[in-house]
Amino acid sequence: MKRFIVVFVLVLVTLFTLEMLTPVQQHVILPFTALLAQLSAAIVLPFDSSVVAYGKILQFGDSGFAVSIEAGCNGVEATIVLIAAVVAFPGNWRSRALAIGLGFLAVQAMNIVRIISLFYLGNWNLDIFTWVHLYLWPVLIMLDVLIVFILYLRWLSTADTEELAVSNG
Amino acid sequence: MDEQHHLRQFLLFVFALLIPCFGLWTFASGPLALPAIGLVNIMLGNWYPDVVSALYAQGSEALLLTEFGELNGRPVSPALSEYQLGFTLDTRILSYSIPFYTALHFATHKKDYLAGYLQGLLLLYGLLIFGLLCLCIKELMIVLGPLFLEQQDVFVPPDSVIALLYQLNVLIVPTLAPAAIWAWQSRESPLAVALMGKAATQ
Repeated sequence: MKRFIVVFVLVLVTLFTLEMLTPVQQHVILPFTALLAQLSAAIVLPFDSSVVAYGKILQFGDSGFAVSIEAGCNGVEATIVLIAAVVAFPGNWRSRALAIGLGFLAVQAMNIVRIISLFYLGNWNLDIFTWVHLYLWPVLIMLDVLIVFILYLRWLSTADTEELAVSNG
Repeated sequence: MDEQHHLRQFLLFVFALLIPCFGLWTFASGPLALPAIGLVNIMLGNWYPDVVSALYAQGSEALLLTEFGELNGRPVSPALSEYQLGFTLDTRILSYSIPFYTALHFATHKKDYLAGYLQGLLLLYGLLIFGLLCLCIKELMIVLGPLFLEQQDVFVPPDSVIALLYQLNVLIVPTLAPAAIWAWQSRESPLAVALMGKAATQ
């Protein structure tokens, strides 16, 4: 457990510090955030003709309400927490890579639901938008990370049990 | 199968408890932040007496008043301005860790709920105080710039450290700390024992 905590904190702080560096923000985080905005727009546009999208902005043509998807709304911090937890837990690198890859997809899928839901909530009620945006969605994203990590632990323990059963014949 | 049952039960309870916990917190977040605001007020008043006038509570927000006024959008001596420069800070962006932790804690099957919960709350409250301090220092850096950063005979953290601590305390700590405290306190719960049996032996 001590090893887990030390490695977890080290990986977390290192990745988080790296994320904050200006070149990383410019060349990785901002383009990735813009990609998320485009993906969200691509999902919404076929179903809602009142929506217009440009750059990282989604806007309702009729009401004028718009959201701009910024760094901090991209699920990167949640992914960093997941990576730190997976790397810190004992396991082989293949399992870890798989967990990080699938976990990243799960976090980003949830994040796109978040962006789209906030876009519609904001058009309906700005107070509720603020409340859900600032307080509720970060918790739901972290719960997503927690569930992915629990499922990874479960998968690891199942794989171990199967391995043991095979070796015992 | 037992592990699967514990996991399902945990997830069901977490989502069910999140709603009342966040509902209660919405109404209680003002009084909840009061002790933290009071403590940070004392800390900042002693640390930066020439810069910080006071930190007040305004509902769930905190109002940080500086020893400066404002003229044409620039911070100046209060003698040159009719107003005292201040800004509001949302304490809820830090304190929402409490309803999250409450939901996680009470959704987990445990022998003893109250003592662990109070310990967890105490830890989270300590982090809330530190987070609020970082929030205030970051605002002072942004609003006052060199007037704050270049004070004589007072320790002011480097701007990059202030920025990093602010980001860490706003983006990561409020969601990670409750999950980490919950995981540590639940390490002997039936779910954790089933999942982490292997790690516990290493």
